[in-house]
Amino acid sequence: MAIEIRPLEQFTVERLIPLHIGGVDVSYTNAAFLMTIAVMLVTALIMLGTRKHALIPGRWQSLAEMSYEFVADMVESNVGHAGQQFFPFVFTLFMFILFANFLGMVPYSFAVTGQIVVTFALAAVVFIGVTIVGIVRHGFHFLRLFVPQGVPAVLLILLVPIELLSYCIRPFTLSIRLFANILAGHTMLAIFAGFAASIGLFGIFPLGINILLVALEVLVAALQAYVFVILTCLYLSDAINLH
Amino acid sequence: MSENRPPDPLARLGEEIDKARAERVRRQPVVGDRSAMQQGLGLGVRIGIELVVAIVVSTGLGWAIDRWFGTRPWGMIVLFFLGVAAGMLNVYRAVTGVRGPVGYRSSDAGTTAPKGQWDDEDC
Repeated sequence: MAIEIRPLEQFTVERLIPLHIGGVDVSYTNAAFLMTIAVMLVTALIMLGTRKHALIPGRWQSLAEMSYEFVADMVESNVGHAGQQFFPFVFTLFMFILFANFLGMVPYSFAVTGQIVVTFALAAVVFIGVTIVGIVRHGFHFLRLFVPQGVPAVLLILLVPIELLSYCIRPFTLSIRLFANILAGHTMLAIFAGFAASIGLFGIFPLGINILLVALEVLVAALQAYVFVILTCLYLSDAINLH
Repeated sequence: MSENRPPDPLARLGEEIDKARAERVRRQPVVGDRSAMQQGLGLGVRIGIELVVAIVVSTGLGWAIDRWFGTRPWGMIVLFFLGVAAGMLNVYRAVTGVRGPVGYRSSDAGTTAPKGQWDDEDC
């Protein structure tokens, strides 16, 4: 009665509504479905929270205000006041990733942020957006980001490529960090769950570990959303407060 | 939230809340550590992957350049070392400028707005 453990099966993208337009596969998948739910939940939270405008906030309003203030505080302290115009974007990003991560924690659901396509798309939006913001704000001067100050001209030959590379690597580190953390965490959960199921009575030990791991994964889910957004803030700050 | 100045009872309520908050902070000094812990955790999680990804991505880029231009070993070799340097640079910056911006300039943008500065009036 060997139970087959397939820990990576949970990341399979399935087509719920197959759809092909002009030879391009645009099927509505389970990933798209979970993302729709995440967007709807975030919208619902904010709508519910801001419906009453109570002076003394109720539970929903507190939740909405807390998330608002958390992100606003983060933008203010990392980008400065000029960054507040990007607050809607940062807030949307944070809430979406947070909800996607937490929805992934619900049993039998699907971890959207465990798909590199999703996280890389998010990171690419951040990267391209930040670059455009920098160029619009500083024009040609933006390229000075890659030229460290107070360095002899000879060293610049070496330093500028390094700077350029470390800038171009940003979308990769940003996306892989989120993706790898979610992927590894959920795979680990599945493996321990498989142990628990396959070794009978002694399965209680892996089960106990799994309970602790779930707590860890909840932490990781929140932390990775936070890290993603704070890095977005730092990148924005780079583009806005150029030296 | 409101644009005009709050009426008097509101101001008094605000004062009372501030006082109660100060009282609570005074009674539990541990609370102040939470934001530091949050930042530390965030930083630790961040830098772990920074170096690895920098090396892997730039080596891959070097490999691709070699394929396109037929400069077999050189693109990969050069970009590998550049990637190591870039990764270390990123880690170094992440560690030294925890609150500050990632770039070179002295931290003028990173040190503004201490915690707790946000009130309803600012929103």
